[in-house]
Amino acid sequence: MKKSHPIRRVVLATAATVSGVVLLLSLKPASDPGAQAAGATPQQTAAAQESPQGGASAAGSANGTIDGAVAQTQYGNVQVRLTVANGKITKADAIQAPKGGTSDQKTALSIPKLTQETVAAQSAKIDSVSGATYTSNGYKQSLQSAIDKMKASAGTSQGSGSSQGSASPSQGSGGGSGSGTGSGSAQAKTVTGSVAQTQYGPVQVRITVSNGKITKADAVQAPKGGLSDQKTAMAVPKLNQEAVAAGSAKIDSVSGATYTSSGYKQSLQSALDQAGG
Amino acid sequence: MTTTLAGGRAARRQTMRRIRPRRSPATVLLLAVFAGAVGVLWLWWHNTPSIADQNGKILNAGRITGLLAGYLMALVVLQMARVPALERRVGSDRVARWHAMSGRYTLCLIVAHIFLTMWGYALQAGKSLGDIVQQTIDSINQLPDMGKAAIGTGLFVLIGLTSIGPVRRRIPYDTWYHVHLLTYAAVFLTFWHQITTGNDFAVEPTAKTFWYALYGSVTALVIWYRILTPIRLNMRHRMRVEAVIEETPGIVSVLIGGRKLHRMGAEAGQFFRWRFLAPGMRFSSHPYSLSAAPRPDMLRITVKAIGDHSARLRELTPGTKVWAEGPYGAMTAQRRSRGKVLLVAGGVGITPMRALFETLPGASGDITLLYRANTTQDLALWDELAAIADDRGARLMYAVNSPDGERPDISADRLRQKLPDIEQHDVFMCGPAGFAQGVYEALRGAGVPARRIHHESFEM
Repeated sequence: MKKSHPIRRVVLATAATVSGVVLLLSLKPASDPGAQAAGATPQQTAAAQESPQGGASAAGSANGTIDGAVAQTQYGNVQVRLTVANGKITKADAIQAPKGGTSDQKTALSIPKLTQETVAAQSAKIDSVSGATYTSNGYKQSLQSAIDKMKASAGTSQGSGSSQGSASPSQGSGGGSGSGTGSGSAQAKTVTGSVAQTQYGPVQVRITVSNGKITKADAVQAPKGGLSDQKTAMAVPKLNQEAVAAGSAKIDSVSGATYTSSGYKQSLQSALDQAGG
Repeated sequence: MTTTLAGGRAARRQTMRRIRPRRSPATVLLLAVFAGAVGVLWLWWHNTPSIADQNGKILNAGRITGLLAGYLMALVVLQMARVPALERRVGSDRVARWHAMSGRYTLCLIVAHIFLTMWGYALQAGKSLGDIVQQTIDSINQLPDMGKAAIGTGLFVLIGLTSIGPVRRRIPYDTWYHVHLLTYAAVFLTFWHQITTGNDFAVEPTAKTFWYALYGSVTALVIWYRILTPIRLNMRHRMRVEAVIEETPGIVSVLIGGRKLHRMGAEAGQFFRWRFLAPGMRFSSHPYSLSAAPRPDMLRITVKAIGDHSARLRELTPGTKVWAEGPYGAMTAQRRSRGKVLLVAGGVGITPMRALFETLPGASGDITLLYRANTTQDLALWDELAAIADDRGARLMYAVNSPDGERPDISADRLRQKLPDIEQHDVFMCGPAGFAQGVYEALRGAGVPARRIHHESFEM
């Protein structure tokens, strides 16, 4: 039955909550010390430890899978797993990636691109995916540590094996499904871009390139169902036309179909990247 | 003379032996609630390695407020689950005040959580604070379970609006109550987005399990104590109205018969929530105190006609079926820690005091009842009280307005004058808030420690 002071109570509760939250936020470091420590001392996973023994085999310098160190980002952990054959990265996966909230979307958007880029570049010098900077940086960090391990294990077996690592740089047939229709590189070839996830469904672009120019563009995947059928019917032919006219991914979005347009441009860019490389 | 004194002492020792004060578990429970909140914050701390920039700070503030809101929401529901430990040990009135307070606080956290998270997402997408509405619409469309969460939040806001003082006083009790029942739907709807989009639950399976356990056990308690326990109680005791008696103008007693009523374990000072299955009354239940010690075949409530519901009680016909939930309330003999007791009643607040006056163990002169009313005509149950006082040698005092309407003097000095050893008493008090506040201050002035003033008030 103590006298109640409603206003005092409201002020106290607000002040306590706000200062508590601010205190917690300010106590968190801007960059994670744990992640740097983890990056400096790459974790030796079981897969990575296999390879020194694999040095006994003659040709294959580093076959199997290698896991990079866990990179901690603001939105969660990122960890890369590389599949290596004859000293080359044949496949890249993210075995950990941010989840929850908008992170699900961003992971779905950025990881396929990053893994594709990895196989194409054969190094950690890959572009960040815009809109997913943190994930990209974490990915590159983990990738670098995996590549370091790969090189370290290749080094131990270099005496017997041939230096495969320097042979044949990127072949352009990276993660996408590029297929040359002719035998020479100057001939027309068809390249399919990576799948771009949009809110209404995936978009995937296929282009035909001849003499470095886009001669044809079409969408092998586009949003379907409901209103999307209309929008796809309206937007995709325009986008195809624009792509051929511009010869690049710098094309205008079709108004009323912004998501589809930006997905289209994304996929187109990845197709162009493959065709160019 | 000496013998009577010795006899008095022996009798007092006898009563003391029956006094086993039970402390309210409120402090322990509040500490447990705080420990839980610390645990929830630790979860966030553990899952957040670093915060890079301003945007990250905003998003993480959104996560913290969201986690706390999710945690408290479970407790807000738990407070209304009619768990006996809360209703009978802490006291229904106190728990109801906790519920109101934590409910308001949680609603504020929810609003802050939505605002901060959407602001953070907008910044993340390269937009500004101005695009927060568009960002909210996008998130509802894109993220899993966000549509449900949006509907649930709308319900929470509605529930909050109908509970604001002036609004609540203007709408009928039944409307307010039924809107309030939507809380269950709102909690269900907002639960899922916590699991599917909550960062901490996405990365931490243990946290997810804990969250399911928290909400699962609250659901189980609600089903058990709000649904199954009342069904069992009413199946077993089959209560009916026996008679309705007019005590004074505007105050009626309702006698309720039933089977093996002593098995309900009700004590003097407690109340039930009553629902009379008569036309126009069956859809709402109201708390009324027992105005006499429960008997195996009979319970009695005494009610002043102040609202729609209480005014209709007068028209109840014998044989009307009664649905009761209870017993609730912590203002019982358990609270007593001393041999001497002062009961203070204001108006119809006499009902639980009347039951305690009859049943509190005590020797002659240990129990005193102070009854305040506007006029002597308003002293309901006076004849019974006088008979009990005579019978057990208890003191009965009343304070009414003087004929010219002047209020009686209930001050520290006056109380000490009437009861020279007042600081040795436990005080039980029931009455309107203003009256109770005045008496409380007088009692404190007269030297009664706060821990020995037991009071129940259903005003928020």
